Amino acid sequence: MTKILDLLDIQGNVIKAYGRFSFPCARYLLLRIQHGERGRAFVAAIARQVTTAVTWGDGPGQIRKPLATTNIAFTFAGLQALELPEASLRGFPPEFVMGMKMRKAILGDNGPSDPEHWDPVWHGEQVHVFISINGQQPDYLEQRYQWLLGLIAQSEGGVSLLRGHRGDHGAADLPYQEARAVMENGKLTSKEHFGYTDGIGDPVFEGLPGSPQRVEGRGKQTVQGWEPLATGEFILGHLDEAKEYPRAPAPLSLARNGTYMVYRKLHENVGSFNDFLDREGRAYPGGREQLAAKFVGRWRDNGAPLTDAPDVASKQDWDRRFMQAAPAEKDRMLSAFTFDQDADGAKCPFSAHVRRINPRASLQTTPGAFDTPGALANRRRILRRGLPYGEVRDPQRDDGNHGIIILMMQADINRQFEFVQQQWINYGNDFRAGNDKEIILGNHDAEYPSRAVLPVPSESDAAPYFLRNIPRLVETRGGDYFFVPSMTALRMIAEGSVDPT
Amino acid sequence: MPDKSGNAYALTILSPIRAGHLDEIAYADVVRSRLDAWNFLENSPMARVPQTYLCRYFVLDDVFTQSLGGGDVFGTWQDFLSIFSDRARRRALPHEDHLKSRYLVFSCNFHGDLDAYLRGMWLAIGNEIRHAWEFCYAFDQVRNADDFVAYMKKCRLKASLFFVGSNDDPLDEQLKALYLKQEFGKFVVAHQGVPAAQLQQAYRDFIARVEPANLAGPSWSPGQYRLRQENQ
Amino acid sequence: MSNIAGKAYAMSVITPVRWYMSWINKLFFWVAQKRSSTLKGLVTLSLIHYARWVVIGRKQFPRLHPDQPQEDLRYSYMLFFSNFNGSWDQYVDSFTFSIPSGLDLFWKWNIRYPRSVPLTPFHEYIRYNQIEATHYYSAYPLASSNDVKAAKKVAQALAGFDARCHDAEPEAFLKNYHALLRDLQNDLGDMRPTPIVSMSAQQVEKRRQRDVRKEQERLAAMGEERKHA
Repeated sequence: MTKILDLLDIQGNVIKAYGRFSFPCARYLLLRIQHGERGRAFVAAIARQVTTAVTWGDGPGQIRKPLATTNIAFTFAGLQALELPEASLRGFPPEFVMGMKMRKAILGDNGPSDPEHWDPVWHGEQVHVFISINGQQPDYLEQRYQWLLGLIAQSEGGVSLLRGHRGDHGAADLPYQEARAVMENGKLTSKEHFGYTDGIGDPVFEGLPGSPQRVEGRGKQTVQGWEPLATGEFILGHLDEAKEYPRAPAPLSLARNGTYMVYRKLHENVGSFNDFLDREGRAYPGGREQLAAKFVGRWRDNGAPLTDAPDVASKQDWDRRFMQAAPAEKDRMLSAFTFDQDADGAKCPFSAHVRRINPRASLQTTPGAFDTPGALANRRRILRRGLPYGEVRDPQRDDGNHGIIILMMQADINRQFEFVQQQWINYGNDFRAGNDKEIILGNHDAEYPSRAVLPVPSESDAAPYFLRNIPRLVETRGGDYFFVPSMTALRMIAEGSVDPT
Repeated sequence: MPDKSGNAYALTILSPIRAGHLDEIAYADVVRSRLDAWNFLENSPMARVPQTYLCRYFVLDDVFTQSLGGGDVFGTWQDFLSIFSDRARRRALPHEDHLKSRYLVFSCNFHGDLDAYLRGMWLAIGNEIRHAWEFCYAFDQVRNADDFVAYMKKCRLKASLFFVGSNDDPLDEQLKALYLKQEFGKFVVAHQGVPAAQLQQAYRDFIARVEPANLAGPSWSPGQYRLRQENQ
Repeated sequence: MSNIAGKAYAMSVITPVRWYMSWINKLFFWVAQKRSSTLKGLVTLSLIHYARWVVIGRKQFPRLHPDQPQEDLRYSYMLFFSNFNGSWDQYVDSFTFSIPSGLDLFWKWNIRYPRSVPLTPFHEYIRYNQIEATHYYSAYPLASSNDVKAAKKVAQALAGFDARCHDAEPEAFLKNYHALLRDLQNDLGDMRPTPIVSMSAQQVEKRRQRDVRKEQERLAAMGEERKHA
């Protein structure tokens, strides 16, 4: 059964991580609708340039890869401001209606991550619209941005661009959030500011274009092998893993082929990270780089998964094979691993990043206990988009402008993002780790100093290593919940013709 | 016998509440608000009842009529009959069922023997029991622990399946084990990398402090919901 | 009222079953007790402290006094009481995905049970028939079922280690200590108050704390008055 998605109807940023498609720079804009009708006219003008998910090509009848992409999404307040009918509005889920700020207790956005510390743009008037522009080069990005400014001006006060994004050199009033891939030795990388290679394990679901081999490690782990996840886990209007249609607002054409997006600006405390790594790295038997690998579950330099390369010796072997491999095989080596041979966490610790955000089949601790091995993980997957922002000028300091902008796409914010954030990142019971948090993203604080165990093989002589007093390495600096409409819905919203009667 | 699983006991009590009222509030509603008031005390009275693992109280006002769509083992037969009889089609909807009395429901998981547990409960929180059960039929005849045990056995329902997910150890052993897990975890983390002789001495001090074999020694107290300062 | 006691959540569900079908239910329960494979999914889920199913025959509601009216019911009833960890959604979801076959066995004979897959009708069924606890108590609100199980393992391992190595030579002590740590490496997670499970629960908890404080102040003030009376 091969499912075909209507790619022309789905926005491009849902299906594609633009960074991987050679759009290494981006700007994220936040706007406010001041006037319903003029706001809708603005949305209509934008809609004509919105990038869809269609597969690009240079052949006849194909759509060529654009120089810059544009995509748009709305908060609940934004949909209200665009005067969507009340009956449609009431069909949106409660967490989306509340918005991310009000969910801070569930998300663990406390202390330095508390909304009171977020960028000023999140403090003023409620954000209504999110527009992202990605460019193949900075010039194209700027051109698209100017075009956008032109449309804003033409709206005659119908929409306004919200200022207040923080940036370099203490700037706090910028009109957009800048993001771009990290450069190393003049070359573009997919790294983030702690030095890790990011964005490897993006979920594969039915209907997603791309080579079928990519399902290995990215789909769901079943008794028969790797299979794509149900489309409805990520896109509304399609069957999900529970064999039903995800809950969605009325009418169908408003919801179908749309999805929800969680935008989060995550500041990285580079100084604390390096300090922590140095300190623990001196004591840790495997050394600094292996310790860094244990934090995430992948080696920093090339993303080799710890389950396949748990120590320096096996890493060298893995590296050799990796360098000789063709691109498809490289991809498979990076993503097609399981925790099946790592029940005690001796290779990849339970509190490592990749294990917490996607435990694969490892929560089925007794073989054959569940209906399918990935039963507890299949409905907690998230599409991750976005890019790093800023640059590290002083690796000893925390207060520079550096972090990542993450855009998470899923059909159900509460069941997917919020669950992973609350139960798997800031808590550890499902991993039998008590209250221990995920090392990189957990909201560690000094009130209850955090620890994490790095287990060793039971047949070894060594003692397990305990990380102690883990500092808060990542801080939330802004964000909200957005609805990413399909192209059909977008045009209807712009027309003002949504009608759930 | 399904009420017991090893040494753990599943007690299900349904005590019928008298019809009648106190100052224009139905007895059953008075019972409910008396139970609710326990939520505002420093801790639950059940913390004082020995061997109580987890328990709950509520007032059962009535049963529900299950009229939502669903599967039905007689569904196909009913559908077949409905071809011939409209009355059969309409009768397929579940009947409305109602209780004539309201019940105080007490569902408790504890360690050990039923009689001993109930006696312990009467001894520890007799006042609260009388306060909560005051308006139940025949409870005015309950004067002492023996009466209480007999009364509860008349209200008792047998479980068909009792699943124990953690264990059936005596409560004080469970609490001591939790205390030791917490303290030992902190010890391990604080003494990582310490050389052998020094570690051993620190360990001996640790053992002397936590007294693993002494259940009456330092431990978590029942119902403890805050980490105590010195234990942090 | 509260369904939450620290890390534990109380779920109470009452569902009607045709009185002449309740024996099948009891049969399945009996089989489940005997065959450990039926409950393997539940055991692996590891979320449950204690859970029970009770079948009340339509004539079995306790009658204690001649003044108490005789119950006159069409159906018998099944009571399900569970004490589990995590949120309601996570728990009910896990039944749909991890052990749906086991679940269907227990509820199949109940009136209009919708089966546990797909998800939403099952969610509705549970919510429709759920009764909230007025008062819920856990002896260890800071501990999940996993914590309780790990604690027993730690206590036993520590006792064994202490008996063997309390007075050993330092080098032997260290070697055995490392072995002990390897044995317990995944059982020493820190225990603290649970993350909140819902916004409403958090609001209720805040109000409750405020009321407890007020009550304490009131009692303290009364105490002061009496002193000076």
